[in-house]
Amino acid sequence: MSSDILSFIIFLPAVVALGLMLTTRDVNTIRNIAFLTTTVILALVLKIYIEFVPSAGMQFVTNVPWIETYGISYYIGLDGFSLTILMMIAILIPTAYLLLWEGKTKGYWINMLLVQSGVTGTLFSLDIVLFYFFWEVMLLPVFLMIGSYGFGDKVFTTIKVTVYTMAGSLLMFIAILYLGVAHFKQFGEWSFAYDSLMQISTIPYDTKVWLFLAFLAAFAIKIPIFPLHTWIMETYKNAPTGAVFLLSSIMAKLGVYAIVRFMIPIFPEIYVEFSTWFVAIGLFGLVYFGIAALMQDDIKRMFAYSSASHLSFIAAGIFSLNAYGINGSLYLIIAHAIATGALFLLVGLMQEQTGFKTIKDLGGIAKKAPIFTFIFAVMLFANIGLPGTNGFVSELLIIFGIYEFNHTLGYIAALTVIIGATYMLWMFQRAILQNRPEGSVELKMRDLKVKEIIGLAPWVVLVFLMGFYPEIFMNKFEPTVTYYLNDILHIGAVK
Amino acid sequence: MSQFFYLIPALTVLAGALVLMFMSMYEKFTVKNFIVISSFFLLIALGFSLSNINSSYSVQPFESLLNNVLTFDTFSNFFNILLIAGTLLTLLIGEHYFQHRSYFKGEFFSILLFALFGMMILAHANELVTAYIALEIASFSIYIMVGYNSDDSKRVEAIFKYLVLGSFIGAFYLLGVVLIYGATQSTNLANLSAFILTANSDQMILVYIGLTLILFTFLFKIAAFPFQSWVLDVYRGAPMVITAYMASTFKIAIFSFFLRMILSYIAPIIDFWDAIITIIIVLTLVFGTWLAITQQIIKRMLAASSIVHTGYVLLAFIALSYKDGQIINIDSAYATMFYLIAYLLSALGAFGLASHIISETNVKVTYDDFKGLAKQRPFLAAMMTIFLFSLAGIPSTIGFIGKLYVFTEAINAGYIGLTIVAIIATIVSVYYYFKLIAMMYFYSPQEACISEEFNDKRVSTYAIAFVAILTLLGGIGSAIVFFIPAMNIDEIIKLTQFAVQSLFIK
Repeated sequence: MSSDILSFIIFLPAVVALGLMLTTRDVNTIRNIAFLTTTVILALVLKIYIEFVPSAGMQFVTNVPWIETYGISYYIGLDGFSLTILMMIAILIPTAYLLLWEGKTKGYWINMLLVQSGVTGTLFSLDIVLFYFFWEVMLLPVFLMIGSYGFGDKVFTTIKVTVYTMAGSLLMFIAILYLGVAHFKQFGEWSFAYDSLMQISTIPYDTKVWLFLAFLAAFAIKIPIFPLHTWIMETYKNAPTGAVFLLSSIMAKLGVYAIVRFMIPIFPEIYVEFSTWFVAIGLFGLVYFGIAALMQDDIKRMFAYSSASHLSFIAAGIFSLNAYGINGSLYLIIAHAIATGALFLLVGLMQEQTGFKTIKDLGGIAKKAPIFTFIFAVMLFANIGLPGTNGFVSELLIIFGIYEFNHTLGYIAALTVIIGATYMLWMFQRAILQNRPEGSVELKMRDLKVKEIIGLAPWVVLVFLMGFYPEIFMNKFEPTVTYYLNDILHIGAVK
Repeated sequence: MSQFFYLIPALTVLAGALVLMFMSMYEKFTVKNFIVISSFFLLIALGFSLSNINSSYSVQPFESLLNNVLTFDTFSNFFNILLIAGTLLTLLIGEHYFQHRSYFKGEFFSILLFALFGMMILAHANELVTAYIALEIASFSIYIMVGYNSDDSKRVEAIFKYLVLGSFIGAFYLLGVVLIYGATQSTNLANLSAFILTANSDQMILVYIGLTLILFTFLFKIAAFPFQSWVLDVYRGAPMVITAYMASTFKIAIFSFFLRMILSYIAPIIDFWDAIITIIIVLTLVFGTWLAITQQIIKRMLAASSIVHTGYVLLAFIALSYKDGQIINIDSAYATMFYLIAYLLSALGAFGLASHIISETNVKVTYDDFKGLAKQRPFLAAMMTIFLFSLAGIPSTIGFIGKLYVFTEAINAGYIGLTIVAIIATIVSVYYYFKLIAMMYFYSPQEACISEEFNDKRVSTYAIAFVAILTLLGGIGSAIVFFIPAMNIDEIIKLTQFAVQSLFIK
């Protein structure tokens, strides 16, 4: 049965992690085994990518009863959306391993593996209780990572981020149960599968709005959308590089993905009705976080704001109700994951080497580490959206999408992108290019090792490949987007 | 003879209690001997109970002798299994603790089995005075056990508070019984049930007042607001193992009788208390949460959080309703029972582990004392984490499934506002449970709390590990990972359904 491949992808890291937990081997062996596991998964994902048929809807489906009394099943599958994000996760994680290679403990790698299980489980779940299950579970290893390997006031940060995200998730939990009950009352049988929840027609309008908001609470906190972002600054600053990478590049994207996977199909009319608000909030977040990023001196905090700014942009695109916007958002999810993932890892490396946390202490990196600077620059340009990079394609599409949605907002969107360029380039100039002032402390910084260059090379290639030939990638998920627009939202794909 | 078969578990426990009592007259037996002997009797009783698990029956044996005051059915058998298993696990988890506390002598184990006997009879009782006697056998045994902690000056406060308040509330119960007798000329629940169906509203006044008084006893024993004030001090003063026993097993025994009474006998009037119970749930959740946040001592925090869990169980309880000659939302009875199992495992694990850690010393009492446990005893810390996850309702533990059922049923019955309050309590609970996890994992140990010669390879550790595995298995089930349908979560629900259905065998 070829559909078991998804279950294998979900549970392999967890099983390996449990095995590693019981061994007493040294940390290098454990890291190597963990890395090997992620590459095995990458191979499996490539196999899926080749076998995937873009026009066929949900594929590789497994549907086994889990808790029959309440109609909850182990229901997993893959469509264009999830495939895109799956590819992203599968490529990003092994590279992250290469960059985090040295000086970590056993628990660090085990947690990384557990997170991978959690995120892929979340990604494949089509039963909403199963989704909730993985959604919560994927947070726990990150909780342990921040608390164990973080900096500064790490325990407070850990508790804060946990309670914050759990609060959102539990509100969603209540909405999930309400939907299940509504399904039971209407059809006389329990089910939590997303396609049966789509059939519910008895929920009154007001309640639907509340349910919609409850779902949004969970996802908006993870993404984060303004004004639910207050946890990320401390977290990104105090968390270890690996956890920041996981939160910003992968889990934040899952929040966006979950909006597409569950909220749009279940509440199509609310989604359409409120879209103007969310595009506006998204754009506001883009500006707000952008300006905040301009004013940061701590480099990790600056990236935290920058990441939030881009994610707001993605959210705005998702709510723009047309193929341009949604395609662009999905594309930006990958582009941003690659760029931000790389930048966070590089910044982490820079901090480890130099011991400096703020932009004004840095400078003169370019002379000491030319390859580092080159890759940093590529990722930076992709992040800004320079033509030729994947960031350009996606930002252009989103701006088109928002323009199509509402002309005024479209103009605003186009203008706001400048802010992103400003803080990024300014930071680049000050922290990397500019020479150090006379008489300052000697900078300790090494260039990238061969291993790290090998790890980052595919990302650099992807940045340009996705920038020049977007069709190769778009073709995989475009049919799904069209299906969403035509058959779920009934507003038609703009083509 | 076949009727006698049903009596065996309860009689075995009683015999065990007597044997232990006689054994305690001799000096030569060690605590270990007592643990082995009591476990032996408990295993026999458990074996006999388990042999009936898949048969649906309801009998009132030896009519001339027992006068129809005890019912033996699948329902009581289900609860007997839980009670015996709870006691057995308490005993095994406490093994380490018992051996390192000089005040645990032979009589203690005899009293423990007497307490269990009382609880088992409570699960069988279908007559109000019998239930009272059973309740008092159990309660008095527990009063004594609470006072066992002769090292701790808090014990006097604990035992006195519990004894006085418990006896006081017992008087309420008796008054309730008298009023019901005044109206119905009987204390047998079957007669009460017949009376309710035929009586007019004037005749019902006494029944309502009487049952409300009995309800107060119930709320006192499960520590719902406003009867929760004893919990913190009693749990604090009692030996740790007994705290575990009270929080998990004793609560189940109380529920067994009241669930039977409500589902099977007084169903037509259960909606009468909805308003009161709604308020009680809200206040229980709010006060329990507030108490739990403010505690510094782990034992008190767990005790306070047990009040919050009482609120969750009551949430499923209130979802029961009666309409047109039948109980609607009967599913919430299953949810209640499932939640009780979930709480039994997680509370027993958490309290038991806390007692295991402090067995040889008296440190590890406050949050700070738990610092760095993960570095000293990674496995114990991991198991504690599992129990705390389960108490907080994090997915992959049985506590999550329990909450899923309870909240689903509450929403299904239309109590959305209450469910939101419960969810908010859960959000706050994440804070106080995770704080302990943070202490265990993210700090280095304090000098005073490091004990070098701590022996991990002993019965207590294995018993705790067993409970931890059950907690995880109950939360994940086997279907999702191994694709085996046999050991799935549904099986537990089916058992509860089976048990409840036997109540309606006429």
